[in-house]
Parts: sequence; structure tokens; C-alpha cells
Amino acid sequence: MSATSPNVDLQGGRTRGVWRGRIFYASLLLSLAVGFITLGTLVVQVVTKGIALVDLVLLTNPPSANPEAAGARPAILATLYLGILLIAFTVPIGVGTAIYLEEYANRNRWYNRLLELNIQNLAAVPSIVYGILGLAFLVRGIGLGRILLAGALILTLLVLPTVIIAAREAIRAVPGSIRDGAYALGATKWQVTWRQVLPSAIPGIATGSILAVSRAIGETAPLILIGALTYISFNPTIGGPFTALPVQIYNWTKLPNPEFKDLAAAAIIVLLAMVLLLNAAAIWLRNHYQKKW
Amino acid sequence: MRVTLQEALDQLEAAIHEEGELVLRALRGALGALEHQDVELADEVIAFDDEVDDTYLAIEEEIQSLLARQTPVAVDLRTVLAILHVNLHLERMADYCVTVAKLTKLVEGAPADQTLMEAFDEMGSRAEEMIRVALDSFAERNVERAESLVELDELIDRANRRAVEQVIAISGDEERREWGLRMIIVSRCLERIGDHAVDIGEQTAFLVTGEFREFTDASH
Amino acid sequence: MVTMANAETELVRMRGVDQLDLAEREGRMPPPESRDVVFDVTDLNVRYGSLPALKDVSIRVYKNFVTAFIGPSGCGKSTFIRCFNRMNDLIPIAVVEGSVRYHGEDLYGPRVDPVEVRKRIGMVFQKPNPFPKSIYDNVAFGPRVLGMTDGLDERVEKALGQAALWDEVKDRLKDSALSLSGGQQQRLCIARCLAVEPDVLLMDEPASALDPIATTRIEDLMHDLKQNYTIVIVTHNMQQAARIADMTAFFSVEISDEGKNRTGILVEYDTTPKIFTQPSDKRTEDYVTGRFG
Repeated sequence: MSATSPNVDLQGGRTRGVWRGRIFYASLLLSLAVGFITLGTLVVQVVTKGIALVDLVLLTNPPSANPEAAGARPAILATLYLGILLIAFTVPIGVGTAIYLEEYANRNRWYNRLLELNIQNLAAVPSIVYGILGLAFLVRGIGLGRILLAGALILTLLVLPTVIIAAREAIRAVPGSIRDGAYALGATKWQVTWRQVLPSAIPGIATGSILAVSRAIGETAPLILIGALTYISFNPTIGGPFTALPVQIYNWTKLPNPEFKDLAAAAIIVLLAMVLLLNAAAIWLRNHYQKKW
Repeated sequence: MRVTLQEALDQLEAAIHEEGELVLRALRGALGALEHQDVELADEVIAFDDEVDDTYLAIEEEIQSLLARQTPVAVDLRTVLAILHVNLHLERMADYCVTVAKLTKLVEGAPADQTLMEAFDEMGSRAEEMIRVALDSFAERNVERAESLVELDELIDRANRRAVEQVIAISGDEERREWGLRMIIVSRCLERIGDHAVDIGEQTAFLVTGEFREFTDASH
Repeated sequence: MVTMANAETELVRMRGVDQLDLAEREGRMPPPESRDVVFDVTDLNVRYGSLPALKDVSIRVYKNFVTAFIGPSGCGKSTFIRCFNRMNDLIPIAVVEGSVRYHGEDLYGPRVDPVEVRKRIGMVFQKPNPFPKSIYDNVAFGPRVLGMTDGLDERVEKALGQAALWDEVKDRLKDSALSLSGGQQQRLCIARCLAVEPDVLLMDEPASALDPIATTRIEDLMHDLKQNYTIVIVTHNMQQAARIADMTAFFSVEISDEGKNRTGILVEYDTTPKIFTQPSDKRTEDYVTGRFG
């Protein structure tokens, strides 16, 4: 009985598997390229068109019939206010709902399962439907009128499902062992949630909320539907009529004068900058909290 | 580290040394009874053996418990095994003391031979010394000192042979013949105590070196 | 005249250990029957929904003893230990039937607050679960949630000292708890429990995730802690139980219904030397000799 020595031919050469791998890799690169090239083209087009016009006039002047003097100040301010109100509304409601669903709700009860189902569905509803909803119930139904607050509320509804889902993921990501450890020390459910679960979940919640808000401030359809006016020259207030940057951009592109189209491009750059700033804030928050622990 | 194991080992060693003290007391008593032909003292020695046996059993139980619970290895395992054997040797020594005491009782009233009594006195001192050296060298883990027991044992062995010769010499005298025969056994007991002390020395060497070897060969 | 009484011998002093009095040595540990009972369990049955986990367990846990639960996996030891601090309450489908008395009081009485229970009966888990906070905040968490905020610094120092961790962390209390090694983290979790001054420490396989050196340190720690606390430990390492426990309970699995039901039962409960040198039940002997399970 002799032991046969192992096969030491290490040259390999299974060609079929290798080619499959290479084709797969190439298609991945292709998808990446398509995405980047498309996006890149759009951005380059906008920037080349509008960068010259991004100046103090754009930022501080109200709109006017004269393209030289036209600015988007009311729209920029309104978008800012909308963003702030959005965060103020969605975060408490969204996080609260997420905490209820994750920590307190009994999954076997029918109303909780209904709630979960609804949230999943609402996240997929097109934004214009929210516009119609807002028009019917908020602007006309309870008589709020076409004011900034109504716009903020509608955007809140739009964004809430996403925030809830993000908050739930963040809360779920807190390991059960942390909860067990806290309970075993004699903490009540409230103490466990407030002192352990939430602090650990904050980075995830903050990231999710900011990303949802940055999507919302680019929404045009619902705002148009509830009557974000096409032309205001005064600074907006919460209880008053308003316009928003996306709406302003839309309106400028509709005007016949080609100079307004350039202005629109400039305004797009401003909007992009706002969104990028928000995203950067989200990333910074996430890194800051992750680095700590 | 391993606080419980160390404590248990320390307690076992302390118990062994306590047992050694009991054996020394038994030996003293037996020798004293023999020398002064004191039957009452001899009875006390015999009764005292119960204490030694109790200690012996307690140590046996402790060792069983320690092996089961602590699973000692390396030097700790050798320590426990050495203590196991030392325990046995000490108990056997105490039994020999009892035998001497019983023989003392048996020969009560018989005339003694002065030469033999002196010999026993010397052998007794030697045996006592050997027990001390054995236990001390065990405590100190001193192999050299343990090996010195061989020489001491040699002295007892010679004394034992002289004692036998002396008994042969007096065996002509009928009155003292029985006494003489009994005394041979006493001499043998003292000689065996010496041998057990050497065995304890061998355990010391085993503990330190990990090797078990007899200090001398059988021809000795 | 030499007598037994005055046959003085020199005392042997070896290595600093005094001669022991034989009587004291034999009475080193008073028999369990004369000790205080901390937990008195009678006819305990636990099931998860309709699946039985533990059947008819009756046992007495004594004060200032280390009591170990050993047995093959699936025999319900973890389920059982969690009954002592009502952690099974957190599992909705767990049902506990029977009596568990703590110093005579029914742990599952109608007016008993689980928070009060867990304040007195602490728990350390298998995988160290430090909170993602600083070392100080970890140890201070228990006192804070229970309102024991006076002299917090002293409490933290005392607890870390008792857990044999103070010297290693006293200069870096503000550092993250996650920067400690596994063994240190587990000692931190022990300190966390000790900070609320419990009466009992429950340990569910506390050293199974640790290396041998760290394990020995935890075992030595338990040896010290049992002076002041009652300790109950679940371990799948029976040599560990042999080393550190005063009383050992052997659990096994009873298979019924043609192999469909596996229920945990208590087979034998006795002093540790007895279990490991002369167990009464053959099943126990098969287990400790390694011939089964």
C-alpha cells in the first residue's frame, strides 16, 4: 500500500471560468460607466450654461421680468424654510413611529401589521399624489390656504415613510445584547430605549432623515399643485404664499427669453449645491458618531 | 492565578507535615515506652494511631477531590502524586510504632539486655532524625538533602545487623531468649521506618526532577 | 518521663502556611443544609409557546456559594438561569410555571416589579456586551437608571476594584469600553453588575468566549466575589464547574414522543466533590466522565 503523491501541477488553466469572470467584471464596469457618463453629461451641461450667472444678483434679488436683474431670493429662502420645517416635523414623528413599531408594538396585533403594510406602500406613492392629497385636505379641506406651512406638511407626508424606514433600520441595528445588558441591570423599557437604543441609533436616524429631506427639497410636482406661486417678489413667511427653488427653475425654463434658461441653469447649480451640502452633513454626522465608538 | 488550586495544594502539604508531627510523636512515645518498659505509655501509643489514621484518610479524600476538581498538570500533578505516596509512607511508619508498642507490652516484666537497649536508643534517634530530614527536604524541595537519607539509612541498617547478632549472642540464655526474638522484630520495625523515610526522599526527587528512581539498588 | 501528651515536637513552618487544625480542616465548609437558602425552586416548568423546555425542576441555591449548572446543550440551563431574574419576561412566548422563591418571597408574585428583581439579581452574559459608551459611563449606567446617583465616582471605583479591573483602567475611564480586550470587557460587565450592589450574580457561560488566561482570571474573581455575593453560573465546560463551584447541578435532556419532544430535567444536584468523585446517578457519571453528551 503506497501513498500516491499529490498532483502538484499548479499551472491551472480552467479557461471557461476565467472568461465568465472577466465578462461579469466588464459588465459591472459598463453599468458604472453608463451611470457616471449620463450624470456627468447632465452636470457638465448645466454648469457650463449657468456657472457664469451664479452671483450675488441671483442670490439676493427677487425675480423680475428683466433677466439682468432677476434673482431667486424668495425661492431660495422658501426652500430653506421648507427644509427646516421638514426636519422639525419628520424627525420626531418618524422616530417616534419607528420606536413604537420596533420596541413597543406587538407584531401579532392586526392593527400593527396594517400600519407596517401602509408605511411600506406609502413610500412608493408618486409625489404628485401627495400634491393632490394636500390640495384637497390641507389647502382646501381644513382651509389652510396656499401657504408655506401647507407645502411643508405635504412634503412631510411624502418623506415620512422613508424616514420611518430608515429610523427602524437604525434601531434594529442596535444589537439585542445591548438591550439585554440594560434590562439585566434593572432599567425600564423607557430607560432602555431612551438611554441605550436611541443614542446608538442616532447616526443612522440622522443620515436617513437628512437624505430624505435632501430628496424632498427637490420635489416640484406637489408644490406646483398646491399653488406655489409663479411670481413673488417678497420674502416668504410660514403663513403666507410662497414659491420654491424647483418651482422657480421650472418657471424660468418655460419663459421664451433664452437668458432665463441660463438663469434656470444657474438656479439648478444653487439647488444642487444645497443638496450636496445636506448630504455632506449626513456623511459627516455618520462618520463623527462612528469614529467615536 | 488559580487561587483555589494553590490553596488546595498548600493545605494538602500542611496536612502532610502535620501528619509527620503526629508520626514523630508516636515514635517518641513508642521509644519511651520501650526504654522504660512503660505499658501505659505503650497503650497510649496504640490508641494514638487512630489520630494518624484519621489524618491519613482525610488526606486521601482531599487528594481524590483535588484530582477530580482541579485536574492538575506538570509540577502540580507531581506534587499531588508525591503527597499521595508520602501519606502512605507516614501511615506505615505510624503502624510500625504501634507494633513496637505492642511488643513492649508483650515483653512486660522480662529482663532487658543493656547493649540492645542502647542500640535501640541509637536506632530510634536515627529514625527520628531521618523522618525530620525527609519531611524538611520535601518542604524545601531539596534533592541533595533527600539523598543524604541514604547514608543515615545505612547507619540504621548496620545497627539492625548488630542487634540481630546481639540477640543470637544472648539466645543461649533461656530467660532472655523470648525477649530477644521479640526485640528482633522491634529492630526490624525501626529499620523499616528508616526505609520509608528514604522512600519519602525518593518522592522529593520525583517531584523535583520528574523522574522516579530508587536511591539505591536492591543489593544494598 | 516521656508521655504522649508531652512529646513535644517542633512546629514545621513551611512556605508561610500555618499548621491547620484537623477539626477546622474537616469543617472547612459547613454542610449545605445549614446554610441560608437564597433561591428555593419548586416544580418549575418552562415552555416556549407549546414547546416544553424545562420539566419539574426543584432546587435550592445557597448563600455565598458558587452553584453551577452543567449539562449538554439544549438541556435548558440558560432558560433556567433566566428564570431567576425574570429575563424570560422579555420573551413573549415564554411561560414560567411553578414556584421560585427568593429569600422566601415569590419572584413571580402578582405585585412583584421585575425592575426591583433585576436590581438585586444581576446577570453577566456569554458574549461580553459593554455599551458603546465610556468605561465610566458603562459602570455608572446601572446606578444612574436606578437613581443611585450619590457618590457615583466612588461607586464606579469600588465596582471596578471588586471586578479586579480598577488598576488597568483607572487612568482611562473616559476611553471607549470597546477598546478593552475581551477578558477586560467581561470584567467590565461584571463591574457594571456590581455597581448596583446586588445580592446575587447570575453568569451565563461567562468565560466561554474568552482565552484561557482571561478565563482563569474570571474564575479567580468568582472565588473572591463569593465572599460577598451568591453566584450562579451556567457552564458547558464541566471542568470549570469542577474547579470553581461549591454545588453542581447536572441537567440533561429527556426525549419523549418518539423523539419529537426534548425537555430539560434536573438529574442530580450535590456538592461538587461528590458529583465529580462519586455521582449517585449513572447519567451524571456518564456525562462527567465524557462518555455521553
